[in-house]
Amino acid sequence: MISSQNKSKKTKSHLKEGPHICPICCILPPHMIDHIIKHGDEKMRTWVMETMRRSEQFRGRREVIGNLALAPSTGQKRRTVYDARKGERLPGRLVRSEGGRKSRDVAVNEAYDGSGATYDLFHEVFERNSIDDRGLRLDSTVHYGVQYDNAFWNGNQMVYGDGDGRLFNRFTIAIDVIGHELTHGVVQYEAGLVYEGESGALNESFADVFGSLVKQRSLNQTADQADWLIGGGLLASGVNGVALRSLKAPGTAYDDPMLGRDPQPALYSNRYTGPQDGGGVHINSGIPNHAFYLAAMEVGGFAWEKIGKIWYITLRDVLRSTATFKGAADATISVAGDIYGQSGNEQTAVRKAWEAVGVI
Amino acid sequence: MKIEGKAMQVTVKRTGGFTGIPLTKTVDSATLPQQEAILLHQMMAAADFFKLPSTIPFTPQPDRFQYQITVEQEGKQHGVMFGETAVPASLKPLLNWLMAQPAQPIND
Ligand SMILES: [Zn+2]
Repeated sequence: MISSQNKSKKTKSHLKEGPHICPICCILPPHMIDHIIKHGDEKMRTWVMETMRRSEQFRGRREVIGNLALAPSTGQKRRTVYDARKGERLPGRLVRSEGGRKSRDVAVNEAYDGSGATYDLFHEVFERNSIDDRGLRLDSTVHYGVQYDNAFWNGNQMVYGDGDGRLFNRFTIAIDVIGHELTHGVVQYEAGLVYEGESGALNESFADVFGSLVKQRSLNQTADQADWLIGGGLLASGVNGVALRSLKAPGTAYDDPMLGRDPQPALYSNRYTGPQDGGGVHINSGIPNHAFYLAAMEVGGFAWEKIGKIWYITLRDVLRSTATFKGAADATISVAGDIYGQSGNEQTAVRKAWEAVGVI
Repeated sequence: MKIEGKAMQVTVKRTGGFTGIPLTKTVDSATLPQQEAILLHQMMAAADFFKLPSTIPFTPQPDRFQYQITVEQEGKQHGVMFGETAVPASLKPLLNWLMAQPAQPIND
């Protein structure tokens, strides 16, 4: 009873504050204000902050935004690696932190180095300060579970299993797997793509694309030199396959009696429409994956420089959480035009790529 | 003979995960060693399997597993779907036991 009374009081006092009218909110929707504060230049930030300050009604919101804008941004990598010791409690025991000595445990060092390479790609190429663009510490846990054939991002950190050894090796073995997991974090803080259907397949595809770019950049490879594989080295010896997925040739990564055959389509007309795996988020990602590959090959050079930038800006600034393939295609074409000019090589390459996979 | 003593076929299908590769394990209580068959029946009864909802809600997380357990007994069939992040405590022993069974080659 007491709690329900409190609740009704709270509601009343909230109502007294009046309707949400704010000069700046009338001009700009809240997400855009957040965006300007996060990504705008100094002049834009000052303008937004000043306007917010003058709006007395929006005290609460102004404070939220004020804190956001004033929060220290370290601009430095901060990594920690934990060991779950085959348990499932997270994060586990701290085994290495930023600047700490190399471990004798290869999985620990792979998680450390891989998250460092991912941080560097986002920071040095896209000027992004970690997963949240505010210097979030990169936490990884290795040796999760017993013979656990998986790696995941749980909303706060990366988690890696050791694999069963018969089908899969340890999941830190491939640097693109690490880049993939961290990119799920970036997606969460930006477009927030719903992990189901086409938006879910886009979420997966962004994770694969930036995962592959982390690998390509760590090897200093141009688009035509890269293998465009996800999970190279992850399949145990004896398994018939080279990796889990191929952006270059979706559907060709493995064909094995135990694992079955790589089900990824490259064409929209061959997309999976069944109910499994959130409507095939790990299957249909092959379509946007291949579009990225085609565009990157057409433009040539280092894939992260132009097409990677177009994809990143699209993810950061344009896509909404329920984006479709068609929406992503239109958005990347539009961003390509904004950055590199309308009907320029880059925009043409992006448009042709989406046409080739049958999305537009 | 008690109803829970009658032969049953139990299938677990795991989907999702980073690999996206499904894994299926099927067990027929009629072909199990007696001790194992008894254990299976006990776990099924403890979970009150046929009374569980067909979907147990969970919030999707990137690259997590989903499980579908299907049981057929005496012409009755029931399936329960749930996510790795929300495995009902009553189903944990059954799930762990099923996942420890040998895997079959994929044929679909
Ligand atoms: Zn993923």
